[in-house]
Amino acid sequence: MVLLAFSIFVDGAGYWYRIINHYPITGSVADMPPHFGDWQLYIHKGLDIQGGTHLELRLKDLPGGRTPSDVQAEEIAIIDRRINSLGVNEPLVAPLGNDRIVVELAGVPASKAQEVLGRTGKLVTTSWVADPNSKFNGPEGISTGFKPQITPLTGDMITGASAQLDANGVSWVVQLTFDSRGTDQFGKLTTAAVNACPGAGTDCPNRHIAEWLDLTQADIDHWDDPGYAAQVSLPIDQGGKLVTNPTIIDPILTGTAQISGNFTQATAKDLATLLNAGALPASIEILTSTDVSASLGADSIKKSFAAGLLGLAVVVLFMIAYYRLPGFLASVALIFYAGVVLALFKVIPVTLTLAGMAAFILSVGMAVDANVLIFERFKEEMRAGRTIGAAVDAAVRRAWPAIRDSNISTLLTSTILYVVSTSGPVKGFAFTLAIGVAISLISSIIVTHNLLAIVLVSGWARRQGALGVSRG
Amino acid sequence: MAEALDRPTGALTEETADTATTVRPPRRLDIVGRRNWFFGFSMLIILPGIFFMVTRGFLLGIDFAGGTEFDLQFGAAETQAEVESALAQIGVNGTVQAGANGTFIIRTGYADPAHQKALMDSLGQRLGTSVNSQSVTTVGGTVAGETVVRAFVAILAASVLILAYLTFRFRRVQGGWRSGVQFGGSALLALLHDVAVLGGIFSILGKGLGLRVGEIDTLFMTAVLTVVGFSVHDTIVVFDRIRENMIVARSLTFEQVANLSIMQTAARSIITSFTVVLVLVALLIAGGDSLKGFVLALLIGIVSGTYSSVFNATPLLVVWRRLAGATR
Repeated sequence: MVLLAFSIFVDGAGYWYRIINHYPITGSVADMPPHFGDWQLYIHKGLDIQGGTHLELRLKDLPGGRTPSDVQAEEIAIIDRRINSLGVNEPLVAPLGNDRIVVELAGVPASKAQEVLGRTGKLVTTSWVADPNSKFNGPEGISTGFKPQITPLTGDMITGASAQLDANGVSWVVQLTFDSRGTDQFGKLTTAAVNACPGAGTDCPNRHIAEWLDLTQADIDHWDDPGYAAQVSLPIDQGGKLVTNPTIIDPILTGTAQISGNFTQATAKDLATLLNAGALPASIEILTSTDVSASLGADSIKKSFAAGLLGLAVVVLFMIAYYRLPGFLASVALIFYAGVVLALFKVIPVTLTLAGMAAFILSVGMAVDANVLIFERFKEEMRAGRTIGAAVDAAVRRAWPAIRDSNISTLLTSTILYVVSTSGPVKGFAFTLAIGVAISLISSIIVTHNLLAIVLVSGWARRQGALGVSRG
Repeated sequence: MAEALDRPTGALTEETADTATTVRPPRRLDIVGRRNWFFGFSMLIILPGIFFMVTRGFLLGIDFAGGTEFDLQFGAAETQAEVESALAQIGVNGTVQAGANGTFIIRTGYADPAHQKALMDSLGQRLGTSVNSQSVTTVGGTVAGETVVRAFVAILAASVLILAYLTFRFRRVQGGWRSGVQFGGSALLALLHDVAVLGGIFSILGKGLGLRVGEIDTLFMTAVLTVVGFSVHDTIVVFDRIRENMIVARSLTFEQVANLSIMQTAARSIITSFTVVLVLVALLIAGGDSLKGFVLALLIGIVSGTYSSVFNATPLLVVWRRLAGATR
């Protein structure tokens, strides 16, 4: 009874609200009852149903002197911040082991996800120094015979980055603010650059300061190769690493800097977000990626839903045809069962995947099992000459050990699946199946038993035909 | 109403002594006596399957094989040969297979999402049409290896735990723990039978007939484990009945007890499996394509599981107990 009230509370109000307001049957709907503040109940759809990207990442090049799980935690926090800028509904960033991270992004193609996550996001500042071996004539303002040199000004000295319009209100820039060490370093660098070839309007390679994204010492070591240097010196949106390489006009001692370039509002915002989120302490390698289109997911869920309804209908028809009245009662228990499981999915909450859906449909077929055991036993007890009431009780009692043992075997295998597997769909399948089996135990033992008792005690159904016993 | 609800549960705890119910044998069908026929039938299915598994192996899904799998839909109708030559022209080493609903399944080596996008873009340019990706999956080699190991660990763990659990449950049967092992071991053999049937049929489907539905992937292993649970489930019901009948029907030999128990539980086993088969067939017919192989594996496994529970597990137990020299 408590369970019934619970499932009606959880399911009923929500679907009533959805139907009245013509909202979709699944997914999040604002202000849907029952809701308490931000706590909302609805079926969470997995990526294979709503479309999106699932990534398993491995951390590599871990910084020394820190534990892997510490690095992992920081990495997750930074990825979280970067993802927030994408505006994804319910993103998932979770640790796996102590050197892996699982990321799930609904509605984001894998290539975009890689773009956002894959960058280490380290802002590297370089000055230019003479190198006779450099054959690369560029980037703009720099000629052959120069290569970049990494300076002590690092990305973690930035306290803030924001995208804004420049003073003329024409083009987009990224405004940086440095902390005190950064202000100091930036002041020294700009002073040195201006002093390299002083005077208003003059320019020389040494008077440039370059900002790069994720430039490494290895990149600089390859500078003698003009092709390599040219590739690295491309702008970041063309696959290179150069953010900007301005001529320094005056020493900047205020601790702020403006990065200008060919920014659009979106690219300026992307860069600001990247810098604000901070650099990843370790770079990442994509171990697995799954990218499912929303249309395929929508098609799959429609088909699975139809299959589920079809399956339920066929089982109900069969049970009624074979067991008559008890079969009808078992069907009532079955529908009750489906309701409770759905309610549990919403409360826990369980993310519904296609495999989970299959488990749910499968469990509908299996949920009948306990009923069948009881009914077959009931027929035997009736044939042995018991009264209806005694036969019901004896059937339930004697069928119980078999019901318990047989369901334990399914619980065992689903637990193993859940523990051993790292794959989302498999975990979903196992969890759904386990919930299904547990609830089916309750539904058949308590619900069927009581329904049988209530209906049979009322007397109108005591004819043998209705009980399906005579044929047994 | 509350009274009606309480009544049966109350009655549950009362020990109404009843022993006379289960002795009367219903229609007699001598399953245990004809056990060699049933063993033979199982072998007829298992042996070709094992032959295929050993000689040809399995068609591996992308999560076991590693690499990248594209499920692509093109704006214009393309033939498999056209897609293959376009793939070769853009310098990608891969295989092309026609999928469901006019899509194409392309498998290549490992490619990260940026390279996936580049490949799809240049494929579209080469074919002169739009490319819609239905799904793209990439699995690195290390992960693929781990997944295979995990799958085997899971099946091994499940087998050991089930054997242990059954041994524990049936330790009180005449003969003590040794009987427990006999019950557990017979159930385990029946279960291995189902795994062999499933593996064999999928090896034939995948390698013999080259059907994508016969692919072995994580979901297939999930199906195997589910079948394992389900198969044991049916076997336990029969064994539980044997245990009960050994106490109730003291005048019968073990062989007679075993056959009686099968007769008494066969209806239930077949009906239960039938309802599961009903929902699985519904899924197979109406459900999405991505789960076809999974559902088929469950279907085959559950039919085999029911067969082995009724026709193999108990006869095996009879043979085992006879070999072990048990009196009953």
